[in-house]
Amino acid sequence: MPDGATVAIPPGLAIAQAMPDVLPPVRARRGLWGFLRRYPTMAIGGGLLLLMLLMAVFAPFLWTKDPTSLAPALRTREPGAQFWFGSDMLGRDVYSRVLYGARVSLLVGFSVAICASAIGLAIGLFAGFIRLADSIVMRVMDGMMSIPPILLAIALMALTRGSVQNVILAITIAEIPRVTRLVRGVVLSLREQPYVDAAVASGTGTVMIMWRHILPNTLAPLTVQATYICAAAMITEAILSFIGAGTPPIIPSWGNIMAEGRALWQVKPYIVFFPAIFLSVTVLAVNLLGDGLRDAIDPRLAKKL
Amino acid sequence: MWAYVIRRVLATIPVMAFVALFVFSLLYLAPGDPAAVIAGDQATPDDVERIRASLGLDRPYLVRFGEWVFRILQGDLGTSIFTNLPVGHMIQQRIEPTLSLMLVTLILAVSIAIPMGVVAAWKQGTWIDRAVMGFAVLGFSVPVFVVGYLLAYVFALELDWLPVQGYTPFREGLFPWLENLILPSVALGGVYIALIARITRATMLEVLQQDYVRTARAKGAGQRSILFVHALKNAAVPIVTVIGIGIALLIGGAVVTESVFAIPGLGRLTVDAILRRDYPVIQGVVLLFSFVYVLVNLAIDLLYTLFDPRIRY
Repeated sequence: MPDGATVAIPPGLAIAQAMPDVLPPVRARRGLWGFLRRYPTMAIGGGLLLLMLLMAVFAPFLWTKDPTSLAPALRTREPGAQFWFGSDMLGRDVYSRVLYGARVSLLVGFSVAICASAIGLAIGLFAGFIRLADSIVMRVMDGMMSIPPILLAIALMALTRGSVQNVILAITIAEIPRVTRLVRGVVLSLREQPYVDAAVASGTGTVMIMWRHILPNTLAPLTVQATYICAAAMITEAILSFIGAGTPPIIPSWGNIMAEGRALWQVKPYIVFFPAIFLSVTVLAVNLLGDGLRDAIDPRLAKKL
Repeated sequence: MWAYVIRRVLATIPVMAFVALFVFSLLYLAPGDPAAVIAGDQATPDDVERIRASLGLDRPYLVRFGEWVFRILQGDLGTSIFTNLPVGHMIQQRIEPTLSLMLVTLILAVSIAIPMGVVAAWKQGTWIDRAVMGFAVLGFSVPVFVVGYLLAYVFALELDWLPVQGYTPFREGLFPWLENLILPSVALGGVYIALIARITRATMLEVLQQDYVRTARAKGAGQRSILFVHALKNAAVPIVTVIGIGIALLIGGAVVTESVFAIPGLGRLTVDAILRRDYPVIQGVVLLFSFVYVLVNLAIDLLYTLFDPRIRY
């Protein structure tokens, strides 16, 4: 927005016209550079994540080979000109597999973050607004939260056929209770706000109050939570694949590459280390993005945490 | 106060009952036919039927659940599909390494993380603070198995200071036992340390602004006494709460850590059970860990009165 003085002011608010003279206009940092200066963690995290995303999307054009093509004669080659990250025990190119593996991690991370947030939001709103449902829903969520999330995902994966969809489903179910709890907490505190009382007093319907007055206020903390869920989901996917309960072994995912490199890791550590580095950097990027978002949304917290 | 203790203990019963119901119902909630999945791709229809019967999927849900709960209350966790041994027995054989790993990790993590958090809060804004917070972000981001392989590579393979993997039972001596547990504990403790250090710092920052801290300073209390006696004591409740909640991270992480370091504990049992699709074993382990988790957090809740005498129920 340009300087406040140039905005047309409705006649009823004429008094506001004096404001720019009293208060010197604050010069906000604008543009991309200003944003980067103001939120360095968000910029670094977002930048790294974008890089990974581009890498995943354009994997076929980044000098990769077919990540599943076998070359038994060329197995376990050290990293070099022919195989940038070396080759695994079936002669597959680790560089290509790692790049394609980014697709699985990012797909699982984003899908779980979106699904768990959406479902958790719906249940949380429901529980926060309907007293009768609240105690039942929250007892169920307490019970689900008593099961360590990775174990819950493992149990679900043991009962279903390994596929990326089932991995997403299993991790989503394990993450829903935390979102529900967050949303319900926000709803309970918002219900006591005077503007909600005012809305109730003026005869606004429950659904409308939720939609107009409650929902928008849950979105900020929910977005921050969603980034943390995305990070947790990527780690969980890698763990599930690593222990053989996740993405089917045919699909190159970071967890799968590490699982395959496990038997040889003492002699050929690079097969494990390259996917490990990519996984760690991606999760770090998402966590930094989340920290940056949290600080931007609530600057009071930024100083403390 | 006793009324509170009894109420709090009773309140965990519905939670545990729900955990049991949920774990039991997973068999029915899972998409597709779990009996066919467990039997595997090479199974004949007879095999599938046999597994369906052994899981009790051929009988009504509620009848099955009643029987199952009744048997669990008697300490019977079911029978493994693969080894035909009682699940309780299999768990018993594997419990020591896991318990050792988690105990060592817990002690290690708490004794590292709390001083880290306290110092970061004391030196807020300095490079020490930034280093601790940076470590916390890294701790949250680098998965357990990555830290595990890195540590094993550096300290076991390259420097040859510690054993690469394996486990020595406690009865063979404290030192050999500890030697095998150091690397896995550091790897497993990473996230946990990050979590505890962060909450310690945040709570300490809040406490250090209180009037009684200023009073302590005014009466001439030393910096160490202010930090560790006046402030840390008052910050204990949130810190201990997080230590309890964070045990879920330890449980989940133990499964992976045991695979990386070839420790024959419950995590390995779980991983082996997944590869064989031995669901009763997985069910037993999940149930056991969840109950332990609930009970630990119950104990912590009840311990609050010790940390903070102001809490009276």
